[in-house]
Amino acid sequence: MALLELRGISKRFGGLQALAGVSLELEDGMIASLIGPNGAGKTTLFNTLTGLYRPDEGEIHFQQRSLLGMNPDKITAAGISRTFQNIRLFSHMTVLENVLVGMHSRLKTSLPGILLRSTGFHIQENEARRRAMELIDLTSLSGREHEWAHQLSYGEQRRLEIARALAAAPQLLLLDEPTAGMNTTEAQALMTLFRKLIGNYVKAILLIEHNMRVVMGISDRVHVLDYGEKIAEGHPDEVRHDPRVIEAYLGQGIWSGNA
Amino acid sequence: MELALEILPQVLLDGIVLGFMYALIALGYTMVYGVLEFINFAHSEIFVLGAFVGVEVLLLLQSAGYLAILHPLIILLLVIVASMVISGFAAMALERVAYRPLLGGPRLVALISAIGASFFLQDGLRLFESLWRNTFYLNYPSLEFLDQTVPLAANLVIPVKSILVIVTALMTLAGLYVFVNRTKLGMAIRAVAQDPDTASLMGVPVNQVIALTFFVGGALGGLAGVLFGIHYSLVNPYTGFIPGMKAFTAAVLGGIGNIPGAMVGGMMLGLLEAFAASYLSLMTDGAFGAEYKDVVAFLVLILILIFRTKGLLGEKVRESKA
Amino acid sequence: MNSKLATLGLCAYIAVSCLVAFFFPQSVLAFLSVEASLLLLYYVAAPRRVKIFLGALVLVVLLPVLGSVNGYYLEVAIQIGIYVALALGLNIVVGFVGLLNLGFVAFYAIDAYLWAIFGSPQANAFIPGGLFPLSPNWFFVFLLLSIVIGALTGALLGLPVLRLRGDYLAIVTLGFAEVVRALVNNLDKPVNLTNGPRGISPISKPPLFFQPLLEFFGLHVTEAKLYPLYFYFLILVLVCTIILVTRRLENSRIGRAWKAIREDEIAAAAMGVPVVRMKLLGFAVGASFASAVGVLFAAKQVFINPESFTFMESIGVLAMVILGGMGSIPGAILGATGVTILNLQLLKGMSLWLNGLRQSGAELTIPLLGSYSLSQLPAQFEPAKYERMVFGLILILMMIFRPQGVLPPTRERKQ
Repeated sequence: MALLELRGISKRFGGLQALAGVSLELEDGMIASLIGPNGAGKTTLFNTLTGLYRPDEGEIHFQQRSLLGMNPDKITAAGISRTFQNIRLFSHMTVLENVLVGMHSRLKTSLPGILLRSTGFHIQENEARRRAMELIDLTSLSGREHEWAHQLSYGEQRRLEIARALAAAPQLLLLDEPTAGMNTTEAQALMTLFRKLIGNYVKAILLIEHNMRVVMGISDRVHVLDYGEKIAEGHPDEVRHDPRVIEAYLGQGIWSGNA
Repeated sequence: MELALEILPQVLLDGIVLGFMYALIALGYTMVYGVLEFINFAHSEIFVLGAFVGVEVLLLLQSAGYLAILHPLIILLLVIVASMVISGFAAMALERVAYRPLLGGPRLVALISAIGASFFLQDGLRLFESLWRNTFYLNYPSLEFLDQTVPLAANLVIPVKSILVIVTALMTLAGLYVFVNRTKLGMAIRAVAQDPDTASLMGVPVNQVIALTFFVGGALGGLAGVLFGIHYSLVNPYTGFIPGMKAFTAAVLGGIGNIPGAMVGGMMLGLLEAFAASYLSLMTDGAFGAEYKDVVAFLVLILILIFRTKGLLGEKVRESKA
Repeated sequence: MNSKLATLGLCAYIAVSCLVAFFFPQSVLAFLSVEASLLLLYYVAAPRRVKIFLGALVLVVLLPVLGSVNGYYLEVAIQIGIYVALALGLNIVVGFVGLLNLGFVAFYAIDAYLWAIFGSPQANAFIPGGLFPLSPNWFFVFLLLSIVIGALTGALLGLPVLRLRGDYLAIVTLGFAEVVRALVNNLDKPVNLTNGPRGISPISKPPLFFQPLLEFFGLHVTEAKLYPLYFYFLILVLVCTIILVTRRLENSRIGRAWKAIREDEIAAAAMGVPVVRMKLLGFAVGASFASAVGVLFAAKQVFINPESFTFMESIGVLAMVILGGMGSIPGAILGATGVTILNLQLLKGMSLWLNGLRQSGAELTIPLLGSYSLSQLPAQFEPAKYERMVFGLILILMMIFRPQGVLPPTRERKQ
């Protein structure tokens, strides 16, 4: 049974067809990549999936449940969380607070409970902090939990976004160019982390990535978008030899591995 | 019912005069919003400044004895040019000092600074006039020429003041239309309004265009101030708030950033207010009267902002890059 | 060792400043130095328990004692308390949630009028039976009721407007406040609800339920002396409650959600924060604080009219929050205290001083410019009348040079 199922998703902005009937399936335990030239509609697909945009057509099923018309926060509560291509941390909040915000949908203390500092509040809050620290550890940010998010280095900020997304305890994690701007060592470390996440923290990962070394090294399946249409899908090796994919990327030198 | 019909022409005239004044002020809001996506909250004080410059020029002419000698049209021209120029430069200075350091930051930061500037200018004017004239409630000296009326019909007498407002406003609006649509500078303003980054790449000096926009908006505000002062005679530093809010409403009503929209919005709001002022009491048997005209205007503002944010003629601001 | 020294220094400072203020009851400076002791308490690195003890000592014992020597001090302290409570309420909306509310004073006005109408004979004008004014005991019921009504009006206004972008929201809240003020101003007909611009008086004060107890201990205090102290303690309790509630909200999932919305609304929604609901909650909580203060304000003033609830009042509170530092509880307190003192003591003090100069008729001689008789200083030039200029300058200068405020929010230190 597929964890996530997209059927014929279309989205149009004015005269621009950003997505044209994109279908995609994601199985439990899988790391899948979404690739394609700039402007192919990858981030639009993420935004549609997380409820920031409403698709004009198509269906989205997540664990046999339709996500259509749900607000972003409900979708997060249903088990999908994400990172952003251009980092969107809460800059004037600490690293720890950033991660704790990610847990919002998992914390249930009521307003009176919060105001009266009920036992339940303390139990939940302590547990939340413990889990947050665990995630901070996991993303190698320990020791920095009380710093402002904007004080972190670029690579650390990317990792904090991942920790924050994991805090929502998602089944499916969406990563938008997680290794952008990182050097090879940093990217390698992240790849190791992603493999560790599957089965332990999340059921599946879908990532948008331009770094083909990462895509080839980590993906169980690759989906290729071009001009809002899915032009290929398959095992990384199949996709890289697909003539349509080569055409879409022609002249971009992307397969050299350091794009 | 008969009464209602009888006063209709007068109500229409009041509404049109008011409408032109709102339109002139609204242009200042809308042009600045067009280029900067920023509510120039202190624009109402630029408007009041215009009114004060007008009264000062008239008082100075009066004390020098020129008021009785010069041709009334020359006097008017002097007064109008002086207020437009001074208000225009004041608006430019305001942009330079209180806004430019903040642009590019969060939108609300510049808005808060603008509110601060509005308050500062109100008391600044008060302080200046208190020191200079020992009072800050000033009366426009009456000009005989302007106090005349032209009887058109039995139930409609048009004061020359109203004709002045209508004619001046029409001429200015036509001039503005030509300026924005037919001149190079106007084109630069439109380019910056559409996309400042691209405009800058194309060699448009964005900062200077912004300054120019403030100058033009400020000058129109100053003109509105003079017309307001001549029409209602009494000015004080705090008179700007309510007309300013209403003109902003007019700008939003017509679609903010949209120059023809500001004119249409101003006219509609002016008429609405005149009708509310005259007919509310008739319609409710005196239970609610003219004192509710401000409430009506503010309710329009709230409803428009909530239900039709883009205004009647559509907003002309760039797509925000989310 | 160091902290002991600091504690000793603090105690010495508090003792000296209180003594000075006690023996020179006319001196504004002496009183300012007492007020400054609280700020000192905040900054000095003394143990937490010592700070709380000293703070309580100043607020619960020393200030009331000084206040009974010079009633004006108590009046200033009550005013400060009112503005601290308002600033803390606005701080939730502007500082935490990041929404510019320019009509905050409306909530304050609605509930001030609520008690004014029913706590005075005013309600007889539209409810027959001569039931009003309600007995003073109802004051506390209205205080609680106002919290609920404030939250409801906050949510009611918030519901349609919270989807608007920031600057439009600011203007709508401003419009809302102007509509409320205009209604209050005009609803003396067709049915006389608010008595219009003439205002309402006399408004009942809260009940002196503890007077028998005082009598029992043989303390005979006149009502005129007792009420200022009573209001002082009421507002103190209210402010402390508000601080406690704000702190508890801040350090919870709600406070974190608010700040996340302020920082990045889209990211917050993507992290599972129900944005609209949290904004509504912020609006409602801020409004409920203002509403409770409103009831207290009406009871303290005995007379209220629409003049107390102008746009300037909203901007004044905004200036306090911005001066102190948006999103910071100590900042809001400092801002409110600073601006209130500036208005009530410094500007008035300067006005008096200038008046004195004027009456002295002294000659001021400036080299090269000649001499100038101070009696010619225009009577219009009175600093106390230029509140707007002060608020305006605070807003502009803070936005340009220190947008984070004097006491910006601090991050949690390592436990």
